[in-house]
Amino acid sequence: MIPLREIATCFEGVIPAMMATCSLEGEPNVTEISQVHLVDEKHVALSHQFFNKTQRNVRENPNATILVFAPVTYDLYRLQLRFDHPESEGPLFEEMSARLQVIASHTGMLGIFKLRSADVYEVLSVEQLTSYFLPADPRLDPAAPTTGVLDAMARELRSLRAISDRVNRASCLEALLENVLQALDEELGFHHSMVLLPDERGHLVTTASHGYGTAGVGAEVPLGEGLIGTVAARRRPMRVAGVGAELRYWRTIRAELQHAGKAPAAPEIPLPGLPDAQAQLALPLLVGDRLVGVLALESREAMAFDAWTETFLNILANQIALGIDRAATATADDEAEPPPGQAGRGRSAAAGPRTRVFQLFRNDDCIFVDGEYLIRNIPAKILWKLLRANAETGRTEFSNRELRLDDSLGLPELRDNLESRLILLRKRLEEKCPEVQIRPVRRGRFELQVGCGVQLRESDSA
Amino acid sequence: MVSIDAALIEFLTSGLVLGAATRDDRLVPDVVRPAGLRVEPGGQEVTFFVATITAGQMLKNVESNRRVALVFSHPQDNRSVQLKGPVLEIRPAREDERPLMDQYRARFARMLEPLGVPPSFVMRTQLWPAVAVRFAVEQMFLQTPGPAAGAPFEGPLRSPGPQP
Repeated sequence: MIPLREIATCFEGVIPAMMATCSLEGEPNVTEISQVHLVDEKHVALSHQFFNKTQRNVRENPNATILVFAPVTYDLYRLQLRFDHPESEGPLFEEMSARLQVIASHTGMLGIFKLRSADVYEVLSVEQLTSYFLPADPRLDPAAPTTGVLDAMARELRSLRAISDRVNRASCLEALLENVLQALDEELGFHHSMVLLPDERGHLVTTASHGYGTAGVGAEVPLGEGLIGTVAARRRPMRVAGVGAELRYWRTIRAELQHAGKAPAAPEIPLPGLPDAQAQLALPLLVGDRLVGVLALESREAMAFDAWTETFLNILANQIALGIDRAATATADDEAEPPPGQAGRGRSAAAGPRTRVFQLFRNDDCIFVDGEYLIRNIPAKILWKLLRANAETGRTEFSNRELRLDDSLGLPELRDNLESRLILLRKRLEEKCPEVQIRPVRRGRFELQVGCGVQLRESDSA
Repeated sequence: MVSIDAALIEFLTSGLVLGAATRDDRLVPDVVRPAGLRVEPGGQEVTFFVATITAGQMLKNVESNRRVALVFSHPQDNRSVQLKGPVLEIRPAREDERPLMDQYRARFARMLEPLGVPPSFVMRTQLWPAVAVRFAVEQMFLQTPGPAAGAPFEGPLRSPGPQP
C-alpha cells in the first residue's frame, strides 16, 4: 500500500474528492467532498456538519471508496475505507472544527454551522490510478524540476540560518520585524507576510507588513476570528490551502441558506491582505505559553505552504517570539536604538501652509485626522500627549522613560510593549499624516517632527 | 419515473465533474470518473461513458446487481445533482459516440481552466476505448452543499449564488 504520508498533498483540500458509499439495502451513493483530513498512517477523517446520505450509509454499512487528486501533479488515487468511529471532542475534532470556523468566519457564517463529528475511517488500501491518463506530452507538460529533495532541504536550511542571523542581529523591534519579513521574501520567496501584536484589549494589531504596499499596518483582528484570530486563540499554527475552493464551497452554502430563508446576518468579512490569496499560513509567536504575536503569510499559489514549510517556519517563529519579548521586556531607556539610517532622515519640520485637524474621541481613546481614522488606545494617548506638549510649549524631543512614568497613558508595568506601540504609531502617521512624524534620535529618545499646522480638538464621543 | 427537462440537460452536459458509484455483492462501493454522457430522448434515461481501462470493477458490479448512482458537480459554484436508477444496458461505446466524449473533455477543460487546472492535463484524460452504460433515472437528488443536500430534486436548478 502506498504510505499515506507520500500522498499528503491530496489531503490539503485543494481539489475536492469523490466519495462512494452504499446503504444496507444495496443502493450506491456518490458525492463530492471538499476535504479529506489525514489523521495518521492508517486513518483519514471527514467532517460531518450536515446530516446526509453519506453519513447515514457508513453508519449502517462502513465500506466507502474515495478518489483523491494530488494538487499540481493531478495524480489520482483510490482509497478503500472502512468507517471506524465518530469523534465529537478531542484534538482531532478541535482541529477540524477550528478549520471549519476559520473559513466560515470569512463568509459571515461563524458559528452558524457546528462540526457534529469528525468521522474517522480506517484506510484499507491506497492505489494510484495511472490508467486514467495518457502519458505526459513533453511539448505540453513541462518537466518537473529535477532538484533533489535533499538539495531543496539544504537550501531551505541555509535560508533559515540567514533569516535567523538577521533576527539575532536586529537592533530593535522595528528592525527585527522589518528584517524578518524582508528576509522571508528574499530567502524563501514568501512575498506577502505580516506580524500582528496583541494590544491591551487582546486584539491583534498589524504592526509590520511586507508585500502589501503602505496599507495594512494598524489593521486589527479580534481574537478567535478568521485564521489569524483562531491561531492566536488556539496558540497553534494553521494553514489553509485552496482558499479559493473553500470560499466557493461556503459561499454556495450561504446562498443555499439565503434561498431557504435562513440567511446569516453577518456580512462577508474580506480576507486580510491579498483579496485573491489561495493559501494562508499563520503561526503563533509564543514565549512559553504566552502569546506575543502572530506571523501570517499569504500566497496566490494554492500549495505555497505545506507541512514542511509550517514546521521549519515554526522554528523561526520561536526565534522571532523571543526577539519580540526581549524588546518588550527591556525597561531601561537604552533599549531603543534607532533603526539604521532612520535617525537622521526625518523630513524638515518647517511648517507648511496646510493645517491638519486631529480629533480625539475620549470615550474610546480614538484619534481621527481630517475626519479619517488614525489610531486608537494607548498609541492614541501617546500621540495626544506629544501633540499637546508640542502645541503648548513647542517641545519636540521626548523619552521613552517619561512615557513609561506617565500613569495617564495606561501602560502596563510589566511588558508594556511601548516600542511596538511607537512603531505602530509611526507607521500609521507615515500612511495617514506624513506631515507629522516620530523619529528616533538616540537610544530611548525620539523627536516629534511637525511639518504642517496642527489643530487639536477633543470631544467625549463621535 | 422522473424526467430531465431541457434546462437540466444543459446543466448536466456543460462539462461538470462526474462521478459514478456502483457496489459489489458484499456492499463495497466503487467510484469511477466517467468521461461524458448523453441524456436520451424523452429525458428518462442517461447513457454515460467510461474509459474501458478504468472500468474493471464497475463492470463487474453492474453486471451483478445493475445499481448505479451518477453525480454531477459544477466545479466553480458547487451546484450538484445526483441521479440513481437501474442499469439497462452495458456495451462498448460506438465510434459515432466518440465525439460526445471529446466534447465533454473539451468543456471540462474550459470549466477547470479558470480554477487554475491546465487544459493540457485534462486533455490527457483517457477516453478510448470506452464502455457505454445506459440507466433509467428513477430518482434525482439535489446535492449542492448545504442544509438541503440530499433532498429529492424537483427543479429547477437555481442560478449560482453571488461569487464576489
